Amino acid sequence: MKLFAKYNRINITSTILIFLLGCLAFFLLLRYIVIKQVDEDLKIEKNEILTYVNRFHHLPNIIEVRDQYTAYQKLDKPLHIDKIFTHTAYEKNKRRNELQRTIEFTFPVNDAWYLADVSKSLEETNRLIASIIIITITIILLILIVTFFINRVVLKKLWRPFYNTLETLQQFKLSNTNAVQFNNTNTDEFQYLNTVLTNALSKAQQDYQTLKEFTENASHELQTPLAVIQSKLDLLIQDEHLSENESGIIQSAYDAVQNLNKLNQSLLLLAKIENKQFSETTVIDLKEMLQNKLSQFNDLWKSRNIQVQTNLSEKSIRGNKYLVEILLNNLLSNATKHNIENGFIHIILNDDLEITNSGISHSLDENFLYKRFSSQNKETGNYGLGLSIVQQICIASGYTSAYNFSAPNVHTFRLDFHASI
Amino acid sequence: MKILVIEDERELSKSICEYLGNEQFITETAYNFSSALEKISLYDYACIILDINLPDGSGLEILKEIKANNKADGVIIISAKNSLDDKIYGLKTGADDYLTKPFHLSELSARVFAIIRRKSFEGKNIITFDELQINLTEKQVFIKGKLSELTKKEYELLLYLVSNKNKVISKSAIAEHLWGDNMDLADNYDFIYTHIKNLRKKFLQHGAPDYINSVYGMGYKFSLPKP
Repeated sequence: MKLFAKYNRINITSTILIFLLGCLAFFLLLRYIVIKQVDEDLKIEKNEILTYVNRFHHLPNIIEVRDQYTAYQKLDKPLHIDKIFTHTAYEKNKRRNELQRTIEFTFPVNDAWYLADVSKSLEETNRLIASIIIITITIILLILIVTFFINRVVLKKLWRPFYNTLETLQQFKLSNTNAVQFNNTNTDEFQYLNTVLTNALSKAQQDYQTLKEFTENASHELQTPLAVIQSKLDLLIQDEHLSENESGIIQSAYDAVQNLNKLNQSLLLLAKIENKQFSETTVIDLKEMLQNKLSQFNDLWKSRNIQVQTNLSEKSIRGNKYLVEILLNNLLSNATKHNIENGFIHIILNDDLEITNSGISHSLDENFLYKRFSSQNKETGNYGLGLSIVQQICIASGYTSAYNFSAPNVHTFRLDFHASI
Repeated sequence: MKILVIEDERELSKSICEYLGNEQFITETAYNFSSALEKISLYDYACIILDINLPDGSGLEILKEIKANNKADGVIIISAKNSLDDKIYGLKTGADDYLTKPFHLSELSARVFAIIRRKSFEGKNIITFDELQINLTEKQVFIKGKLSELTKKEYELLLYLVSNKNKVISKSAIAEHLWGDNMDLADNYDFIYTHIKNLRKKFLQHGAPDYINSVYGMGYKFSLPKP
């Protein structure tokens, strides 16, 4: 639930509740005051009657006053009554029941006792109260609606910096070297949030950068010792007196150094791609590049008896030449390395590039396909980095790659270059 | 002819000198920036092998010095950094070649020979080895005086072997030289054998001896057959 909705729910409920209670109290108070006023009037009437009787010793004439009714009743015996009450009485003139406030009192006139009823209609006052209440409720409703909209606008405006911050955060990438820039705000809390976020993110970026640099530096530093080992082995194989056994040992060491070297190159390449060192792009004639690659692989395919079928259309893409070359290289290497004796490779270049090869008779697990060092088919020299590199190049260049398996043993990699030109 | 190896890693420097040094070449070494500058101020070299990352200075500065005073016929940069920018900058400043560490000594040797040949034998660019004659300008190979049709790969292979004559060249070095080092081959070098076999066949066809010796599955050695 949105903060605004949550706030409104609480705000409106409590406002309505308070207003209702207020209304009720207002109504009761108003009613109390009005009735008190009527009572005062009735008491004045009573006093007037009593004064009149005291002075003239006979009952006063009943004067017709609007909404006031007076009646006298002779009593058989003396009785003391003096009370004020509310009741409903049938009013002949109006021919309906109406609410009245009545004062009832007894008094003696020349030894005879009389009961006087003076009633005042409460209709008018009730109508007044009703009008006042209606006006009050209308005002309350108006206030509620206005507050709702004001809150809506004001809150939205108040929270704007927060949403700005969120938007900036959403665009944040750890691999970006630029520091995050949040919009300035004059709300202290949000400013504080921005400061805290800026610090945390720049720290994360720095750490990430350090890590990346570490990978790159470590790979660079490894090159020289590798060069020494390789050069020593190159010298060692010159020895004419090596036995077959010794040659085998040297060959194993030689192969291991080669693999180490390739692994190091791959890690370095991955680090460089992530460090965006290949941002320069040109328009590449993919068909031509692919044909060059095919001629390079031809000998390899011939020696492994792999049947290659190609169907290449003209296609130009935008990308980094070096990276696209590696991309093709790794896909073709992959199709070759994981192929079977007397297998096949089909290469189709239309709007996208499709490389299909025969291979193992079950699908590769896509979850691990592009993960580093998760080679599902461990062979010497295969560290599972080839496809990671493919994926990184795709990400860096805006291409997408997809893998598909179809029975019995056909693996397909498809590269979609999108409208990358 | 003298070759100067400017490389701070002594063991690598020693390997290079041992591999390149023979009756034709004398190698000298410099392990740091200052001794390198001193050496190039005193002598002229046929080829200088230059490491860019020296402890007390940049190899690129040395390169400028070499070029300014015309101290060498050719310069090969060797660097641990496989950076395209460095490579372009190095070649622009006047280096003839750029090799990333680690490299095969046979590759370095082939490049040194290529540079020296290019600079020293202008016009008459022919390599002779026993019964073989390779015309580098025409890219033609004569065996016992007769022109032999070689495929492009066979020609490159022969040139590589001749550049490393009397040395054992590993299969992976040959594969990298001929097919590029980006190809992930998974240690399967069977396809090299096809080309070796074809070369041998052509030597024998023209009545020349088989100069290519297999060395225990490690690689090949191009040399005169033992009597």
